[in-house]
Amino acid sequence: MSEPDDPRWLDDVAGELRREVPVRPAWRARLLEEVARTPTPSVRDDVDDTFDDRDERPLDAGRRRWSITVGPLGSLAAATMLVALGAGAMYVAMSRLGANAREGASRTAATAASPGLVSGAPASAEREVVRFELSAPRASHVALVGSFNEWNPAATPLSRDPASGIWVVSLRLLPGRHVYAFVVDGDVTADPSAPRAADEDFGSPNSVVFVSSPRT
Amino acid sequence: MGVTRPDVPGFNLATMTDAMLVRRVLDGDTAAFTTLVDRHAAACTRFATRMLGNREDAEDATQETFLRAYRSLARYEERQAFRTWLFQVLINRCRTAAVRRQRRHRMFLVDDDAIAVASVRPAAEGSDLRAELQRVIDALDPDQREAFLLKHVEQLSYDEMAAATGVGVSALKMRVKRACDRMQWMLRDAEASDVGT
Repeated sequence: MSEPDDPRWLDDVAGELRREVPVRPAWRARLLEEVARTPTPSVRDDVDDTFDDRDERPLDAGRRRWSITVGPLGSLAAATMLVALGAGAMYVAMSRLGANAREGASRTAATAASPGLVSGAPASAEREVVRFELSAPRASHVALVGSFNEWNPAATPLSRDPASGIWVVSLRLLPGRHVYAFVVDGDVTADPSAPRAADEDFGSPNSVVFVSSPRT
Repeated sequence: MGVTRPDVPGFNLATMTDAMLVRRVLDGDTAAFTTLVDRHAAACTRFATRMLGNREDAEDATQETFLRAYRSLARYEERQAFRTWLFQVLINRCRTAAVRRQRRHRMFLVDDDAIAVASVRPAAEGSDLRAELQRVIDALDPDQREAFLLKHVEQLSYDEMAAATGVGVSALKMRVKRACDRMQWMLRDAEASDVGT
């Protein structure tokens, strides 16, 4: 290791500390047994509150508890405020009702224009048609996964053009940045003709597409 | 919203991104979680071992981390890297383990005696060198140790560190700098001791 005054000392120290601490097979087996005994998580499950363990955080150890004592005059003022707030909330609710009715009309139009390829997006936003292509003449199945379909490999299969051997699918995407990848016969692969996503997840690299707003 | 099991021939878990694996687990494919464990267990164990200073506490904290993450998987949002989300849980587990240990009176020593102990450098290489570095790491303030390990050992970006720790980027940069200054001072002091003996 280099001397502490050498500019490389930090690299040496970090390199030494980065050495792997091997995972013991017995520990791994015990963990997986525990996982198997735990109920399978689901998107429909109630959130496990134990994740949010701020009560155990040392940083929150000095958290304060507040209490407010309200006297007779304070009660009168609070009641007045509640009435005012109630009236305000009713006004907002009625305004939203009108807005929702207007959005309902545009949602119907949007659904008719894009037959189920993308769902769950704000109806008011305008989408752009994006065509994805991949040349994989020997592949038997290609799918598109990305942030727009919850990385679900069954959601967006590509069709093969028999003449060219190119797999294609067109999606209507919202303006903005979308991270995606292809699944070629089960293997995730980046789009060779697109830029790589800088914030790569663990696993195969992803690609990125920027969709501009139709108005710009 | 339900998600149907992908009907893709020969689906290879090893090539799937973390976000896809999470989606598979939530869809009922628990084998996908094993792949997540195999990808991240080594880094988690390393961080916890460096942070807590011993293997047993580190394995407990890491196991608890994966179990909590599994139970709370529906909370994971793809906008955040899975590793950052996992480290958020792990950091909390390590902080809690450190508090428990303090209660057992095996507290981290940050006084001059501790620095003196950390400065005693055995004249050896390999694992002894690592043990010496661990003593130097142990002598750091826990906040500084946590920031240093996340930055220089686990190589998280400052934004990832902020998301995982709940601490601002400026404060984290300051902690890392102070940790580096202190470690350099301790190592320099150890060098001087070696020359003097």
